[in-house]
Amino acid sequence: MRSSPMLKAAGLVLAAVLLGLLAVQGSYALWNTAVSANAGTIQAADFRVSLTDTSVNNTTDMTLPDGTAAAIALTTTPAGTVLPGQATYAGVRLGNVTNAGGDFTIQAALGSTPGKTDAGSGLAGYLTVKAVAAAALDQCSSAALYASAPPADLPAMTIAKGATGVFCFQVALNAATPAALAGSTAAITLPIVVTQQ
Amino acid sequence: MNKMGKGAIATGVGVLLLVGGGGTLATWNQAQNASMGSVVSGDLNLVASNGKWTNAAGTAIADISAYRVVPGDVLTYTQDVNVTLTGDLMTAKLTVTGVGADGTGSAAFGGAATASATTLTKGTQVLPDAILKPSDSGVVKASTTFTFKSSATGRTATNASYSLGNIGYALVQQAPASANNS
Repeated sequence: MRSSPMLKAAGLVLAAVLLGLLAVQGSYALWNTAVSANAGTIQAADFRVSLTDTSVNNTTDMTLPDGTAAAIALTTTPAGTVLPGQATYAGVRLGNVTNAGGDFTIQAALGSTPGKTDAGSGLAGYLTVKAVAAAALDQCSSAALYASAPPADLPAMTIAKGATGVFCFQVALNAATPAALAGSTAAITLPIVVTQQ
Repeated sequence: MNKMGKGAIATGVGVLLLVGGGGTLATWNQAQNASMGSVVSGDLNLVASNGKWTNAAGTAIADISAYRVVPGDVLTYTQDVNVTLTGDLMTAKLTVTGVGADGTGSAAFGGAATASATTLTKGTQVLPDAILKPSDSGVVKASTTFTFKSSATGRTATNASYSLGNIGYALVQQAPASANNS
């Protein structure tokens, strides 16, 4: 039987391919095995710090679910007006409520001197704010706690995982406050910054 | 002699010839066992024991799925991998498969976490191209380190997850020099 050169060429190519495939296949036929390390998945902790007012029903996380910073209005003690020469007190408890697996200590500090706004009345200039670190909210209304604290002090404290710390505030109205400011109001803001230690 | 008689005689002669042939069975003969023995195959196996996670403080982590990492955490995963190689011409390579550094979850951590390439050690490091022999059978220690960088800022990667589930080990026989490749 006579075959054309094309047919012969095709036959040669087919034979070469088959031989090549067989040669490659041979290397896969050797023994091999594989196992998984089962290392699992690593999960990052959250970074939750709770803020609680002296009125313990007033509480929030420092960071809201939408990622923005929370603001908490603090209850003053005694409640009501402040007379010249007298003071009112407030406090906030910070809780390190992270779910970290290992150690996770935070440092909480007042970020800057308290901001005071009075809508132009001038009352803010007669207010002195002192801040100190404490162990419990019920210490905040004790005047002795602030005796040695300078007005510009920015206290800081470390809080271990699962523990709490307290910042107490004293707002004193200068005894020389003009009577013309009676009935005026002022707002005081105290930024708190928390960092991982 | 009629045809029936001739047929009977021919049959008789044939039977006699058969009897004569049977006589050859009586001559000497002998059989021997070749004693080739049994052909026994070797073995190639890989068994990974339960791995162990520890944190930078050296504390064992009983359940990695319940542990939550924070910036500065360095976790190490160690695992014994038992290699079995049997066979006179057995050689094999042991390699790490799957994702290591910059694997799944790296993006979720915003680049704040890395997983090292898994290392294999048996006295000295077992490199991917090392040819293992049956004498190398035994426990190989595997180690992977996960680092949550201290440089993370703000609330970077809170609640993020990093999967290391693709990491595995492969033991692949290498063809003997005389392999027939069939």
